[in-house]
Amino acid sequence: MTRCTWSKPCLWAAVVVLCICGLPAWAQSSAPASAAAAPAPAAPAINTPLGVAGPSANDLAAGDASGTKTGTVNDVVASDPAKGVTLADLVNQAGQNRIAINFVWTLVTGFLVMFMQAGFATVETGLCRAKNANHTMMMNFMVYGFGLFAYWVCGFAIQMGGAAGVSILGGANPLSHEFAIHLLGKDWGLWGTKGFFLAGPTYDVGVMVLFLFEMVFMDTALTIVTGGAAERWKYAAFCVSSVFMGAITYPVYANWAWGGGWLSKLGTNYGLGAGYADFAGSGVVHAVGGITALAVSMIIGPRIGKYNRDGSSNAMPGHDIVIVLLGCFILAFGWFGFNPGSTLGASGALRISTIAVDTMLAGCTGSFGALLFMWLKYGKPDASMAGNGLLAGLVAITAPSGYVNTMGACIIGFVAGVVVCFSVEFIDRVLCVDDPVGAISVHGTNGLWGVISVGLFADGTNGVKGLFYGDPTQLVAQLIGVATLCGFVFSLSYIGNTIIDVVVGQRSSAADELEGLDIPEMGALGYPEFVLKPQPVPAGAMAGSK
Amino acid sequence: MKILGVFLALLGWIVAVMGPSVTSSTGGRLFICLLGIAITLTGILGVLNKAHLKEAIWKR
Repeated sequence: MTRCTWSKPCLWAAVVVLCICGLPAWAQSSAPASAAAAPAPAAPAINTPLGVAGPSANDLAAGDASGTKTGTVNDVVASDPAKGVTLADLVNQAGQNRIAINFVWTLVTGFLVMFMQAGFATVETGLCRAKNANHTMMMNFMVYGFGLFAYWVCGFAIQMGGAAGVSILGGANPLSHEFAIHLLGKDWGLWGTKGFFLAGPTYDVGVMVLFLFEMVFMDTALTIVTGGAAERWKYAAFCVSSVFMGAITYPVYANWAWGGGWLSKLGTNYGLGAGYADFAGSGVVHAVGGITALAVSMIIGPRIGKYNRDGSSNAMPGHDIVIVLLGCFILAFGWFGFNPGSTLGASGALRISTIAVDTMLAGCTGSFGALLFMWLKYGKPDASMAGNGLLAGLVAITAPSGYVNTMGACIIGFVAGVVVCFSVEFIDRVLCVDDPVGAISVHGTNGLWGVISVGLFADGTNGVKGLFYGDPTQLVAQLIGVATLCGFVFSLSYIGNTIIDVVVGQRSSAADELEGLDIPEMGALGYPEFVLKPQPVPAGAMAGSK
Repeated sequence: MKILGVFLALLGWIVAVMGPSVTSSTGGRLFICLLGIAITLTGILGVLNKAHLKEAIWKR
C-alpha cells in the first residue's frame, strides 16, 4: 500500500520530465528531415544576371562621405554590361583581385628593395675616404644599370627560365624549361632556358612582376662587391665584373636555390628536409655578394698603406659616419621589402606580418650584439660596427625569416652581431684581406650563418623544420648550400675576375690610388670645396708599387 | 699554388654534394658535408690566400 501511494506521483513526474526533455529533442531530430524535404534554393546559373542593384547615379552624385556607397556591385566589371553582373563575373573578379593584390605587394616591396641601393651607396661612401667619394658613389650608382642590363639579356632566363608554376602571381607559365642533366639516378636542374630579353611568350604580366622583384635582389648582391673592393678598383674592371656577375654568377646559384634547380630538389631527391631553403636570400643574395667580394679583394690586393711590412694593419677610417648610419637605416627600411616581399604576395600569404617582425627583431639584436662586443672589448660603443651589426642581423635573418619564430629571430640576430665583429678582425688581421666597409663579414660570413640557421631554428610552421625542432636532415641540405657557395660560387667568381684582371686589369695604378680615384678615374672630386689632407703612408708600404 | 687553391675549393664542393649519394645515414651525410666544407675553406683561406699574400704589395 505504501509503495502504491508514492509510485503514482512518481510516474506522473516521469511522464512530465520526458515530455519536457524529449519534445525538443524530437523536434530537433525531425528538423533536418523537414529541411531536407523543403526544396533547396536554386543556385543562380553561372551566366544569369544576379539582379543586385548598387547605389543609383543620383546617390553617387551626392558624394560618399561615409564610404558606404563606394566599392559596390557597380564596381564589378560585367562581361556584358547590357546583361548585368553574373556569377561568372564575380568569380573572375575575385581571381583578378587576388592576383592584383599580390602584384601590387610584390611590386611595391620590389621598389623598397630598389631603394636599398641608396643605402648601400651611402654606407660604402661614408666608410671610404673623401678622396674616393665620387668613385665609390658612382660604382654604387652604375651597378644598378649594368646589373639590370645583364639580367635582362640573360640573367633572368638562366635563373628563372624554368620556374613556371608561381601560382601566387598567376602562374608565370611561359617560364617553362629548365636544362637538367641526369646523374646518379637523379635529375640535376642547372639553368633555365626561357626568358632571354623577356621576349616571346615571356612578354607576360606575371613574368614582368617576377622579373622586377628578382632583378632588384640580384642588384643587391652586385653592390656588395663594390664595398669590398672600394678605393682601389679600376672603374672599367668594375663595369665588366658587374656584368659578369649579373649575367652568370648570381643567376646560376639563384637558379639552383629558387629557380627549380638541384639544390631546391634535395628534399624530393634525397629526403633532406624540404630541400635547400633560403627564404629571402641570405645565401642567394648576400653570401653570393660577400663571397664574390672576397674573391675580388684577394685578386686586387689591399690598399696602399693598409698593411705594414710585418703584416700588421693600419686603420683607415671612413670620412662620414653620419651618412653611414643614415644608410644603415635606409637599408633596414628596405629590408621590409626584401623579406616580407619574398612571399610574392599578400593574399594567401598572411605570414608577412611574422616575417616583418622577425626582420626588425633580428636587426635590432644584431646591433645589440655588435655594440656589446665592441663596448666590452674596446671600451667604446663603436658606431660603424653598431651599423654593421644591424646589417649583419638583417642579413642573417633573410634566409630564415619565413621559417622561424620571434625568439629564434632574436638569437639569430644577436649571434650575427657578435660574429660580424670576430669576422672583421679575422679577415683584417689573420687573412690580411683588405675590406674597407666590412662587406665580406657582413654579407659573406653572416649570409652563411643565415643559411645554417635555417637548419637549426626553423620551427616547422611553414614546412621547414630544423635540428632544434627535430629534423637534422634540413641542416644537411643547408650545409650543402654552404659548400656550394664557398666552393662553386667562390671559384666561379675567382676564375671570372682573374680573366678580367688579365684582360682589363683590376687594380688602379698606385699614383691614382694615392691621389684618390675621384679625379684620375671619374674626372671630378666628390667634394670639390674640401681641402683633402694627404694621407701619410707608412714606411715600406709603398715598396713595389708601380 | 693558386690553381691548387681553386682545385681544393671545387673538390670540397663536389665532396659535399656527393655525400647524399654515398650514404643514406644522416650522420654520415653531415660528416661528409662538413668534410667538404673544410676542404673548400682550406683551399680558399689556407692555400689561395697565402699564394696572394706572398706577392702582396706591402711585402715587396
